[in-house]
Amino acid sequence: MDILPQLVANSVIAGAIYALLALGFNLIYGTVKFFDLGYGALTAVGGYAVFLFYKKLDWPLALSVILGVLIAGAIGWLANELVYKKLRARRASNMVLLVASLGIFTLLQALIAIFFTSQFQTLANSAAAGRVLEVGSAVITPVQLIILASGLAIMGLLALGFKKTFFGKAIKAVADDEEVARVVGLNTARIIGGVFFIGSALAGLAGILVGFDTGIEPTMGLSLLLKGVIASIVGGIGNVYGGVLGAFLLGFVENFGIWKISGEWKDAIAFGLLIIFLLFRPRGLIRQ
Amino acid sequence: MEYLIHLAILVDIYVILGVSLNLVVGFTGLLSVTQAAFYGLGAYVTALLLVNFGVNFFLAALGGILLTALISLLIGFVLSRFRGDYYALGSFGFNIIIYSVFLNWQSVTRGPLGIPGIARPDLFGLNFSDNFSFLLLTLVLALLAFLLARWLTTSSFGRVLKAIREDELALQIFGYRTLHYKLMIFVVSAALAALAGALFASYITFIDPSSFALFESIFILAIIILGGLANLKGSVLGAVFLILLPEALRFVGFPSDIAAQMRQVMYGLILVILMLYRPQGLVGEYKL
Repeated sequence: MDILPQLVANSVIAGAIYALLALGFNLIYGTVKFFDLGYGALTAVGGYAVFLFYKKLDWPLALSVILGVLIAGAIGWLANELVYKKLRARRASNMVLLVASLGIFTLLQALIAIFFTSQFQTLANSAAAGRVLEVGSAVITPVQLIILASGLAIMGLLALGFKKTFFGKAIKAVADDEEVARVVGLNTARIIGGVFFIGSALAGLAGILVGFDTGIEPTMGLSLLLKGVIASIVGGIGNVYGGVLGAFLLGFVENFGIWKISGEWKDAIAFGLLIIFLLFRPRGLIRQ
Repeated sequence: MEYLIHLAILVDIYVILGVSLNLVVGFTGLLSVTQAAFYGLGAYVTALLLVNFGVNFFLAALGGILLTALISLLIGFVLSRFRGDYYALGSFGFNIIIYSVFLNWQSVTRGPLGIPGIARPDLFGLNFSDNFSFLLLTLVLALLAFLLARWLTTSSFGRVLKAIREDELALQIFGYRTLHYKLMIFVVSAALAALAGALFASYITFIDPSSFALFESIFILAIIILGGLANLKGSVLGAVFLILLPEALRFVGFPSDIAAQMRQVMYGLILVILMLYRPQGLVGEYKL
């Protein structure tokens, strides 16, 4: 039996989702230099916002998705305004920020479970879910094609945005040296706010795409967060392109890893990869 | 009355867990988020020895402690290569890997079904099957754990640990092999957590992987951060507070699944608020 094309297809699709997660995570980490774990819960925020608008209130699909992405972005922005900004102003250590973000993660996840119950939900309509496309001997669903296409489109858009726009260059300036950026007259607080918004919106989008592909549950954020973090570190933390590379590597390692053993080991395999990289190549594939 | 005894037993178990984690996080300054893995290892090994081989509880617990100590030595060795927030992230990973072993090594752990029918302790005709005598047992062991931790931290060994926390490099220059100290305290901490696990398994008489997920590690971390890092009495205070406080929710009359989520909301809020306004906790002597 020829299982190889299917494994490759699965790897690429997983890679595209991880790439979105890594992009957002890397963007935030690169700018503020701490591990924002609250980021993970925003995938569930995005997914459940769409669940509310699209499935519960029957709003149009496109509007629901846009709202979901915006709400995830807004909550990420709010977390920064209410918590991280104050801690950073006080020059709190990275560990304080990490623990605070852990608190935000726990808080958001539990709030979602209270409002929407802990049940597993799917976003896709049953009619659309049944269709499959055959590419060679691999089977892909239309949703997965959309994941791939939107993932690649967003990556391109972001790369272009960073290079060409003033805001993109300003982010790079803040990432390089926040003090200097402020001295030359950039509004660093607003730029960092913007970074949190964009990064969190990407997490929301990733959560929504996962929701259409498989489904959502309040605890989905942890596994997705870790995939984003692992992809970022494997690729080279703070390096946006490295993160994408790491994401696809992770996608391939995970999916080929479960070729021989059962699928539940995916998370363990992903962490094995992380620990190997931390030990032997701590700065990732693309060093900065 | 029975209910109060139940709470007191839980407090004792979490006092052991809090004190054990405080040795690593508070006194040595290593932000470890993997304590639930050792807690679980102790519980699983004890339970398996009791159920499959019918050995005496105290021997089974000893087996659990020894095996956990051995595994923690390996994990501690890998983690000792990391600093600060990378250490936290790596420890995260080990919690998830060990959790997935509990969940997926079904031929041994029975996976999500868990292990039922774990016997209560029995020693020289002394039987701990009623809750009151079990409470006495946990009380004595919690006290011993506390005294051991106090002895360790007030000795010259403890001063070296605090010096590692403040300036590891300086200590290395003075000729201390800091790796040995870090490994030693990590193993002691894991062994104590395994003891708590053994008590938990035989008290509840049933274990499944969900008790030892990453969230449990976050909860133990919340206990010691609330009580105060590098203060053993603080860990006792934190355990009492965080076990008893959510019980109040029970009396407000929320349905049990909502109450469980409300607890998480509360833990998350406590972490965020502490980081914002009182990072040293109630009586802490060290800030992250």
